[in-house]
Amino acid sequence: METKTLTIGYYALLREQRGLSEETLDSTAATPGELYAALKNEHGFSLESNQLKVVINDAFKAWDTPLNPGDNVVFIPPVAGG
Amino acid sequence: MFEVWSTPLDPAALRVSMKNVEAGGFVVFEGWVRNHNEGKTVERLEYEAYEAVAISEGNAIIAEATERFGLLEARCVHRVGSLELEDMAVWVGVSTAHRGEAFDACRFIIDSVKHRLPIWKKEHYTDGDSGWVNCERCAHAGMALEEATCKHNAPTLSEASYYARQIHLKEVGQAGQEKLRNARVLVVGAGGLGSPVLQYLAAAGIGHLGICEGDGLEASNLHRQILFDAQSVGESKATLAAQRLAALNPFITVTTITERITRNNVVKLVADYDVLVDCTDNFETKFLLNDVAVLHKKRLIQASIYQYEGQLFVYDPKHDGPCVRCLWPEMPKPGCVGSCAEVGVLGAIAGVFGTLQAVEVLKHLLDLPDKLQGDTFFLDLLSLRSHKVKAERNATCPVCSTQATITAIEAEAPVELDATELNGNLGDYALIDIRERKEAEASPLPVTPALRCPAGDIHLDDLHIDVPEPWLLVCTRGMRSKYLALALRKAGCEKVYSLRGGAPALEQVK
Repeated sequence: METKTLTIGYYALLREQRGLSEETLDSTAATPGELYAALKNEHGFSLESNQLKVVINDAFKAWDTPLNPGDNVVFIPPVAGG
Repeated sequence: MFEVWSTPLDPAALRVSMKNVEAGGFVVFEGWVRNHNEGKTVERLEYEAYEAVAISEGNAIIAEATERFGLLEARCVHRVGSLELEDMAVWVGVSTAHRGEAFDACRFIIDSVKHRLPIWKKEHYTDGDSGWVNCERCAHAGMALEEATCKHNAPTLSEASYYARQIHLKEVGQAGQEKLRNARVLVVGAGGLGSPVLQYLAAAGIGHLGICEGDGLEASNLHRQILFDAQSVGESKATLAAQRLAALNPFITVTTITERITRNNVVKLVADYDVLVDCTDNFETKFLLNDVAVLHKKRLIQASIYQYEGQLFVYDPKHDGPCVRCLWPEMPKPGCVGSCAEVGVLGAIAGVFGTLQAVEVLKHLLDLPDKLQGDTFFLDLLSLRSHKVKAERNATCPVCSTQATITAIEAEAPVELDATELNGNLGDYALIDIRERKEAEASPLPVTPALRCPAGDIHLDDLHIDVPEPWLLVCTRGMRSKYLALALRKAGCEKVYSLRGGAPALEQVK
């Protein structure tokens, strides 16, 4: 499996649960779905991927989109405050 | 301290409990059972409370009063059960260093108790009739629309000088100002986001500005809702906002809607407006506004905030872009992400996002370049990191695609069911007995419920009702169950009902 360097961003509840808003890491995940599953497992995120949106390089993408080295991946939960 | 008693109130003993060596005065209010109401002669009364909520909210009122008026002692006791004429229904006492605060605090507490607590009164009349009198909090009667034309205090300043700096922009000019004067914009929610939105749109000269807000001002609003003064806690936010905007700009017309927006009234409420600004704080209203914007071709400028960050989104029916449901086809379950009340928010974050919304409204009305259209803008004010994210229309979107399943805003099903409506189909509902254990043991239901769960054990932000919907809630008289059913509906549970008349009505179901 190919290891890729990715920049990961977190918003809202995920930022709180991760304790930071952005990090760079190496991953063998082929898709954002695999990447989120690994991060959820590692950090104990409470949200399932179907409750989130994933943004890759500033566009919303499907969870099975192939990841490329250098991708900027951001996980976004819904928010409703006002 | 706030308490609910089922035994007679003893004012002498209550008075003794208010003694405080630092107190220079003590003010008491006693509410008594009187022999008449709205032209009818009353013989006796019954009070019923949703105790868990009444006590927690009652204690919040006492805490607010203590903080606001600097009270030394404060106590309120409300009766429940059967009361005769002249019996004491409620007792409020406050002790303070000086008399002025004592009178004001006592008035504040009794008014808030009447307005905010789920306590119901059943009056028995001399003609043998009886009826529940809604608590003020639960009064959802009719539409409360008042036109507050802000043309009073004929100003000595001219409109041209008021808008001079804006008209000076070459993209605006007199023609742009005229567009703003002819615009009709409805701001839904006069809270943290609504405060800057309303002020900047009023000042910019939006000719017809609607304010839709059903809540009264609370102390915990003030750190971010900078439209309001500390002295106005308890008053209608829509009315306060209209007064403020009238003072700010005498050249515009402001309409206040003091009703909460629901599926039953939304179509009528938005009819007069071209642009909707979503300044609400819950998914239910946000999705409702998206659906009505798509179905009735209104522009929607939406923002949502979370602690130190937020999101901005625009739906434009004239542009082939996505709607909210293209991204989030289903409304997120309540409680999966926190609200401002649960997770906290820095007040200035609401100011930033409300101001961004006002800018987008003006960009759209003036047709300025690079307006937000179809993209979502995310901004984290801690790291100052932002993302402007492209989104496409979703070919299977439930509201804006050719495969739409939501084609009209359907009115909400009534929350109360009569025994006669349940004849032959009671089995279709999961019967949930929400009475306290003692009540349930004293008078078992004629049918075994699917679940026994006292109302006090049901927490809206952490729901564990493990029986399939539709749910039929039953209590002793049908008041607590109605209140809880309404709260559950608001939290996103669609198929929840209350049995009118409570447990005795179950005997009549065939």
